[in-house]
Amino acid sequence: MITEREFLERARLDSRTLSVWIEEEWLIPARAADELAFTDMDLARANLIRDLKDNMGVNHEGLGIVLHLLDQMHALRRALAAALESAHDRRPSPD
Amino acid sequence: MKDPYEILGIAKTASAEEIRTAYRKLAKKLHPDLNPGDKQAEERFKEVAGANDLLSDQEKRRRFDAGEIDASGAERAPPNARYYRDYAAEGGHPYEGQSAYGDFAQGDDLFAELLRRSAEQARRRPGADLHYELPIDFLDAVNGATNTITLPQGGTLDVTIPAGVEDGQTLRLRGKGAPSPGEGQPGDALVQIVVKPHRYFTREGADILLDLPISVKEAALGAEVRTPTTTGSVMLKIPKRSNTGDMLRLRGKGVKTRGRTGDELVKLKVMMPTEVEPELDAFLADWKPAGTYDPRKEM
Repeated sequence: MITEREFLERARLDSRTLSVWIEEEWLIPARAADELAFTDMDLARANLIRDLKDNMGVNHEGLGIVLHLLDQMHALRRALAAALESAHDRRPSPD
Repeated sequence: MKDPYEILGIAKTASAEEIRTAYRKLAKKLHPDLNPGDKQAEERFKEVAGANDLLSDQEKRRRFDAGEIDASGAERAPPNARYYRDYAAEGGHPYEGQSAYGDFAQGDDLFAELLRRSAEQARRRPGADLHYELPIDFLDAVNGATNTITLPQGGTLDVTIPAGVEDGQTLRLRGKGAPSPGEGQPGDALVQIVVKPHRYFTREGADILLDLPISVKEAALGAEVRTPTTTGSVMLKIPKRSNTGDMLRLRGKGVKTRGRTGDELVKLKVMMPTEVEPELDAFLADWKPAGTYDPRKEM
């Protein structure tokens, strides 16, 4: 678990930007004992958001859409992987 | 090492704006998170990011053009140690989107069944385990205690320390970890115990070790002296003619562990008085030993 202070430092964010990102639900940190608790995944996602904004020129409005589609793509990839695995298991043995 | 102009696909005379445009175009195509199934995307993205680093910095670009540094001189550490895609590949996180296949999951065929099952698993995934370190007093480790951890993210956690806990041991507090991202059980808190050293006790397995200083008179004539144990003081009988290094055992005064209750091992240490004792000096000056004892006869 990463505390809010450590997260701001490691993600190179200021706290105002962070609260906007949370407000937009681009980041969904856990809440433990009324404080925010971040994971390594949140950190990787914050880096992605920064890459999209700063290096690829995705604007504020577009970012939410990109993240939403990305997350749906990951869900589909997982579902597809599970289906392929299951189809593999059910394939009749050669004999 | 490839030529950074070549990597970005631009001329040597490209302007800063042209470099930026070329980089953005490639980054959008190659960013690992936009290519989750492409294992090579990360390598290619790093190459492009490295080239951009070099050429977007006026000074670095000048030195590269002048042949002062090569392309590798500007290669930076990977921008992210792990990409978002590495985490998103697993389910059960708050960013999971299921709406993308909601329509497929309605049916009663195999694929729909699989989708429902994977969504259900994600929903029930437990929270993460949280790790803490708890320094405790030596005597609390021996006798057990209740301790309160102040959590870094605020709030507190009550920890019951069982008697006989050892340095480095980890206590698991069920359900005191991070909450589940879905509707599963919360994780556990794992508390690693760090036992602080004591002023005069040390521990060896279930036994407590103590160096006990005694006076010359107590050592010579024997005595009963007050001796600290981990549960309070007891009177310890020092035999006549005791010596530095002699070991006395206080049975059952050690650590209560699951296997056995240890002993306290008291090692005597004979001390000369630090104040001037004229009578002792005078006596020893006149003293003619009856025996032939030589403390250095083995040397």
